[in-house]
Amino acid sequence: MRFRAKIVDLACLNNFSRVVNTIARLAKTCTLRLTADKLYFILCDKVANGGVSMWCELCQGNFFDEFQMEGVAADHNEIYLELTPENLSRALKTAQSAKAVKIKLTNKHCPCLKVSVELPSLSSSSRIVTHDIPVKVIPRRLWNDFREPRVPDFDVSIYLPALKTMKSVVERMKNLSHSIVIEANLNGEMNLKIETDLVSVTTHFKNLGNPPWASEDGCQSSAQDRDLESMAEARIDIKKLQQLLAGQQVNPTKALCNIVSKRIVHFILLHEDVSLQYFIPALA
Amino acid sequence: MKLALRSVNSSRSAYAYIFFSSMFFQHYCWTAVSQPCQKEKQLSLPCKLLIKSVLPVFRCVNVLERNVEKCSIYTNTNEHHITFQLLCRNGVIKTYNLTFQECDPLQAVFAKHMCPNILKVHSRLLADIMIHFPTSQEEVTLSVTPMKVCFRSYAEEDADFSKTMLTEIQLNPDEFDYFQVGVDSEVTFCLKELRGLLAFSEATHGPVSIHFDVSGRPVAFSIEDMVLEASFILATLSDIDNGTASQEPLCCSRIPESSKAFMDKSENSSMDKDGNAEAAASKRPRQNENEHNTEPAAPASPVAKRNTCNSGNILKDLEGTAMPETDGQAVLEAESRESQYHKFQFLFFGAVSPKKDAISHTSHSLATASDTEEDFGNMQSSQVL
Repeated sequence: MRFRAKIVDLACLNNFSRVVNTIARLAKTCTLRLTADKLYFILCDKVANGGVSMWCELCQGNFFDEFQMEGVAADHNEIYLELTPENLSRALKTAQSAKAVKIKLTNKHCPCLKVSVELPSLSSSSRIVTHDIPVKVIPRRLWNDFREPRVPDFDVSIYLPALKTMKSVVERMKNLSHSIVIEANLNGEMNLKIETDLVSVTTHFKNLGNPPWASEDGCQSSAQDRDLESMAEARIDIKKLQQLLAGQQVNPTKALCNIVSKRIVHFILLHEDVSLQYFIPALA
Repeated sequence: MKLALRSVNSSRSAYAYIFFSSMFFQHYCWTAVSQPCQKEKQLSLPCKLLIKSVLPVFRCVNVLERNVEKCSIYTNTNEHHITFQLLCRNGVIKTYNLTFQECDPLQAVFAKHMCPNILKVHSRLLADIMIHFPTSQEEVTLSVTPMKVCFRSYAEEDADFSKTMLTEIQLNPDEFDYFQVGVDSEVTFCLKELRGLLAFSEATHGPVSIHFDVSGRPVAFSIEDMVLEASFILATLSDIDNGTASQEPLCCSRIPESSKAFMDKSENSSMDKDGNAEAAASKRPRQNENEHNTEPAAPASPVAKRNTCNSGNILKDLEGTAMPETDGQAVLEAESRESQYHKFQFLFFGAVSPKKDAISHTSHSLATASDTEEDFGNMQSSQVL
């Protein structure tokens, strides 16, 4: 098992740092899956996470100048590592002006991702900062736990309002209630609602638009036959939603959510070179 | 003539002092007052203030810079008060009266000039190095050879490596303004205790000197310019495996009463708050500069043979002994052993006065720890009267 990668371009480095920062906000520990072409940050829906799950996919070519990987076996050319994304985020934080950043999988006392940052210095040779981030190698027998989640059979799919606006609304609501209701219809309308003994607050969004999903064997027929005004709703943990919105450092190219009434809300945030899916289950 | 501020942390593994020469102040005046009970004219009255009381006076440096026109500090020994007066814009005057207690000053003595390894680095560079370590990082190891310098995070042997992230920074000797390595060494010290000086150095923009020796011997980080001199002396982990864990104590310095030194509990000072008030400072403390040199860093050699203290008779007690003799120092040692830094070489301190009650009073006061981590710099105002 081998892995080494290098980033030389500052813009790519910044992009990668931003992705890692976002992931760090969403999960304390997560799985990093490496294949020849892609990197994935995965969080599977265990009870410990509060049932949320995450799937973030990047094309390595968009970030790394060099990327070499040898998986556990020839026919399973992949590596699954468990790590604390906060560590990776911290290691990259002070690499803003780096000449190069190298990441390598090592195994001295224990498996680590060694991040080497070459910084410019006043002297002839560069300053080198290395961070050894401990990781756990996930054995092949557990790989099934980390499969890509299916898009659920949703009732309504709708584009999200401007994330900045949504974030500030949710942040204020967070002070008042632990749970929030997201409801939306196929008419481009979405409401965010909280209700407590003392107060109920609703924010209405209109003209959001509904993404067209290609129908596959009628599995979307339930959605297509649906009354346009009828709202699909789910009550979710407001903190999880706030974390998702707060972690977004750049505006995505596309942001939408799929609501399965009273079951789950599936968020999809697409950027040029990275896609993030986040599932928040409905509260009982 | 100068104003001396000193502090030591509760585990006695870090000692800091900052001396402001009288030139630092717009106005500086000290008058010796003789007390009836004392034989000779008293040239200094060591006193201590609670850091928590002084900090609020100088909190919010930005506010200070914008609003305060003058800062006046004066005291009246009879009343056991030190008064800090901030004369602000628009005729607003803020007066803080803080009670002080007499105490026995202590100082750690460390022969900086005897250190084989000396590095001088611009404060900007030091900040750029330390920023790579998380704020929660407790200890850091500085390792030098004539060819390279390396700072790395320290983890204890029984630490769980599968959980801790380790950071290492390698530098070329070229990056240092002055680089002298007499002996290859690795010293491990507490980074947290140093943060105060790091912040201060960024405010003063001065170069920072690092004096150190082999592991076990203290390391000193110092800043010096025309009007002030600051030094943080930190104990380092002694290399027990190596078997050369020399338990040579540092110079124990008895500061004669006429000196300006006094010491108290609490954590390290960060003088940035005072530093920024410099333009505005106008002091009228009753102060004495000790004519005789009691520079804590001055003493010649580690074990005894000190000729900087005035009280020659006290010195005789120390000469030739590895362990400090007085009760006061013994008490300090005992307390030190209970500290969490059980492997750290302790800085030994000398009590000032031979009075027994004074000594026990001192050790009492040294035992108090400061609770807040975010005390940006626990500034200890040490007035010598």
